[in-house]
Amino acid sequence: MIAGLVQILFFQGLGELISKFVFTTLPGPVIGLVLLLSWLMLRGKIDPSLALVADGFSQYLGLLFVPAAVGVVLFLPQLKEHAGALISALVVSVVLTITTSALILKLMHREPKKDA
Amino acid sequence: MRESASIVEIWVYLSGSPLIALFITLAAYQIGLWLYQRSAQNPIANPVAIAVVLVSVVIELLQMPYRTYFEGAQFVHFLLGSATVSLAIPIYRGIQHLQSRALPLIISLVCGGLVSILSAVGIATALGADKTLVGGLYSKSVTAPIAMGIAEQIGISPTLTAVFAVVTGILGAILARFILDALGMQSWWQRGFAIGVASHGIGASRAFSVSPEAGAYASLAMGMHGILGAIAIPWIFHLINR
Repeated sequence: MIAGLVQILFFQGLGELISKFVFTTLPGPVIGLVLLLSWLMLRGKIDPSLALVADGFSQYLGLLFVPAAVGVVLFLPQLKEHAGALISALVVSVVLTITTSALILKLMHREPKKDA
Repeated sequence: MRESASIVEIWVYLSGSPLIALFITLAAYQIGLWLYQRSAQNPIANPVAIAVVLVSVVIELLQMPYRTYFEGAQFVHFLLGSATVSLAIPIYRGIQHLQSRALPLIISLVCGGLVSILSAVGIATALGADKTLVGGLYSKSVTAPIAMGIAEQIGISPTLTAVFAVVTGILGAILARFILDALGMQSWWQRGFAIGVASHGIGASRAFSVSPEAGAYASLAMGMHGILGAIAIPWIFHLINR
């Protein structure tokens, strides 16, 4: 597990450096993600200790953004004032997004229907 | 007298250490997970949403300012970056699904992503929401850890972004089934991918509970949207907010 964590921290650090000095509009961890992804594709396999750490993170990913999300208490008056606008925006947008993505796949991919 | 004084002392001692904030955060999330399992994984009982409400109530009752809470809970927050990097693993696994379907998937993602931003920002602006709030909507369909990174880069509150991302995830997980049925979508991979584009990880876990194929494609959509969003969203944001 430690070996996996070391790899992740290494790529994260590399990503932060590149974000600071080269691609300043990209968040460091995203650059780290792309680097790690390229490394995995180059090697063609994931070693077990890396998979262990990654699966742990993805299982409890939600926990990690609780501290930041609790900051919503600071925005409550603003959110209340514009609740109608925000709720409409969020609901309509999610419906349109799912519809758009789904219809494009349906139209672009006509394969023989397999009835099961 | 003596006793109450010592309780105050203990309280003062504890509130200066990260222990309380960490305890509240983990305990609230544990309760959230428990309720989520008890509700047979109903998306409304989202563990993150439950944890956020519980923590907010508890720090309000303890009269603990948000800053003090965050100072303690930042140890959890710090791991977000590492968790983002580790998303490479599910994406790597998902890429094996790409095969001949790469082109439709990429076009579906790009159009879905654009519709997500333009519709949300357009509607909220038209209905009079202020700029700070609207800013939080740009990366709402991107998985929360990456969405927060994008928000920081473009000078927008990561908090609002995370909250809108979680709400979007919950809405997508609840509504997707009805929308996709109404559209007559039959193949699992198409259904899964559309859910993942709109409602990232929360949608993906919903998709997994229905069909592993839909889940795999939803995770792939989430990963691709994360990478593409990080590249394109700052650019779109500056284009709209010149």
